[in-house]
This record gives sequence, structure tokens and C-alpha cells, in this order.
Amino acid sequence: MSEAVKIVEKQTIPSEATMIVGLPDVGLVGLIATSYIITELNLEEIAYMDSDLLPPVMVLHKGLPRAPLRFYGNKNFIAVISELAVPAPSVYIVMRKIVDWGQAKKVKRIVSMGGIPVENRQAITEPEVFGSASNQELLDTLTKSGVKVMNEGYMVGPQALSMRYSINSNIPSIAILAQSFYNYPDPQAAAIVLKELSKILDINVDVSKLLEKGEEIRLKARDIMKRTQEEMSRMKKSQEYDMPLYV
Amino acid sequence: MPEKPRKRSIFDVMGEYVEAFDALADEMLEATFPEGPSWNTETCCLQALSNVVVTSREVVVTADMPNIEPETVKVEAVDETLIQITAKMKKKVRFTDLGIYHRQGEFSSLRCQNRIQVAFDSEKMKIAFIGGVLEVRFPRKS
Repeated sequence: MSEAVKIVEKQTIPSEATMIVGLPDVGLVGLIATSYIITELNLEEIAYMDSDLLPPVMVLHKGLPRAPLRFYGNKNFIAVISELAVPAPSVYIVMRKIVDWGQAKKVKRIVSMGGIPVENRQAITEPEVFGSASNQELLDTLTKSGVKVMNEGYMVGPQALSMRYSINSNIPSIAILAQSFYNYPDPQAAAIVLKELSKILDINVDVSKLLEKGEEIRLKARDIMKRTQEEMSRMKKSQEYDMPLYV
Repeated sequence: MPEKPRKRSIFDVMGEYVEAFDALADEMLEATFPEGPSWNTETCCLQALSNVVVTSREVVVTADMPNIEPETVKVEAVDETLIQITAKMKKKVRFTDLGIYHRQGEFSSLRCQNRIQVAFDSEKMKIAFIGGVLEVRFPRKS
């Protein structure tokens, strides 16, 4: 039987890179932020995912067919994006493969960016950023960078699995999450997450173009947001509003 | 001798229930997220993303309305259960502006329709437009 999910490498994959994961999720924050960083850092496509567990879709860019879930990189970074909502039943195997592949490529850490759904988002002019990490030392690093810790709460979906499998594989992992709309694309939240990421990774990412293109992105992202919302409903993403009980 | 019908196990019965439940869940999702394009070239409208929240006192409809002229926002009750929101865009958007060259059409407004499952008073709605998101509040009818 062929492998259910495989990652096809197009060129040599760097070792000791930081892997940034931005799959479609709440407010498309991670996807928008990661796509922007790919453009700003001029990262090249280095690999893509091939799997029968993903919908039968190819994306056309400049006339050429591309796999929807792709890996970009340079010697320091590997960025993972998906231009289609990962079906809820496949999210486990897809995330496990991404983390396992990262481990095989000796990534030094995994960073996932995303949104925290807040009901009154339109009333918030400057969304706040919260972080979570796979160990106390990393959490302290986040705090020193000025990121508030997400003390209590639930993570659901790709970020949760990225964290779970990274811990299993002993890969340092952090999540940087901004307050965002649940089911409306939120480029402003993506820009704020990127500002924090720049401080943590000590890179220079100018988010002004992202903010300028905010309205255009919101128009273009309506379809993928709608499909992502369907999958978020299947994943019971609304559990992120819940309060955990640990006495 | 006729074959004796096999007795169904509790697992078979449960399996059937799970399948029926899955089918129902898919049906509900399809009703919530109908298939079809998010644009209409005849009416020159793009479909806005929207959301409905029903509380004990009111119905709150929000819609993501980027690139619109706020003063052109129109909220109408099409009938007792259907709300329609429309607004003109600041600038027309063509497929080519979005990098799509294999379709033709331009769009001058955003529109969404929401079915409301409880009685509400459309005469007493309150509208706010903050950060590109329209929020319409209707008191519920008792």
C-alpha cells in the first residue's frame, strides 16, 4: 500500500532551520502571516505534500499547477502553508507528517501562528498577542520578548496537534496567537502576530504592506475562510471558547 | 431449509446510528454552507461573509464588509425571517484585479442574506460599522 501522506522534496532541505506553520484556521491569521513572510523573506518552494487524504485539488499560479500544501524555505526558515482547508478527519495524519518530517530534517524549533477567537473583535482596535510553549524555558523566552502567556484555555486543530506531536518528538515548539475574528479573515491580527514573531526570531519583517492590502486580502480570502469554517465546525473549534477545569 | 436471519449485534445497531448521525451532520453542514460561487456577475455582487448570534434578548447579525462606502449600507427584512445586507464598494473590483483572467465580470457591491430562526423586530434595528465589520442588532419579539 502506498504511503498515505508523503512530502515530495524539490531541493535540498536545510538542517537546523526554524519551521513556521500557518495552516488555515481561526481568522486565517496563521495562513496570512506565513504567506506574507514567504514573500517578504523571498523564500523558495522546497517541497510539497502529496496525499489522497487531501481533496483532489491543485492550485494554479501563473498558469502552473501547484500542490495546495507547500513548504518554502531558505537556510534559516521552513514555512508551511496550505491553500486549502485541511479536512478535519485528515488533520491528525497531516500534522503528524509535518512534525515527523521536521524532525527528520532536524528543525531546531516549530513556531505556529494563529488566532484566538474573540467575540467582540470589532471593538478591539489593537488585538493582543498571547503565547504558549512546549516547555517552561521557551515560555520564559516568550515572556522576555514581551508576549503574554496564554495561561488557561484550550487549543483545537492544527496548532494543538503541532504542539502535541512536537512535544512527543522532543522538538521545542511555540504558538503565537493574536485575538482575532473567528470566521472573518483578519490581516490586522496577522500583522500583529508577525511583529511579535520578528522580535522572537530576531528578523526584520515590515508589515506595512500587509496592512495596506488588508481590504484586498479580506475580499480574496472569503472563499477559503468559508471552507475553513466548515472544517473548524467539524473539529469542534468552538471549544476554544471553553474554560478548562483543573483544580 | 430457509436460512435463519442473522441476529444483529449491538455493534451493528450502533454502527447504523453513527452512520445516520454522520449523514445528518453532513446535511446540516451543507445547509449552513451551501455550495456555489461567492459572486454573481449578473447582479455584480460579491457575497459577504456573515454571522448570526441569537441571545435571549436580541438577534445580532454581523457581516465582513471590506472596501465599502459605509453610507450606502442597506439592511432590509426581505420577509419575516430573512435579512439582507447590501453596500456599494468604494471601488469596483474585476476578476482581473484578483489575478483571475479566465472569467469576466466586475463587482460593485457586497451582499449577504441571513435566515433568522426566531421572531425579531426589524423596525427597531441598531446599526454600527466598526473596522469594516457591520453589526446589526434586532430586539427579539416576545
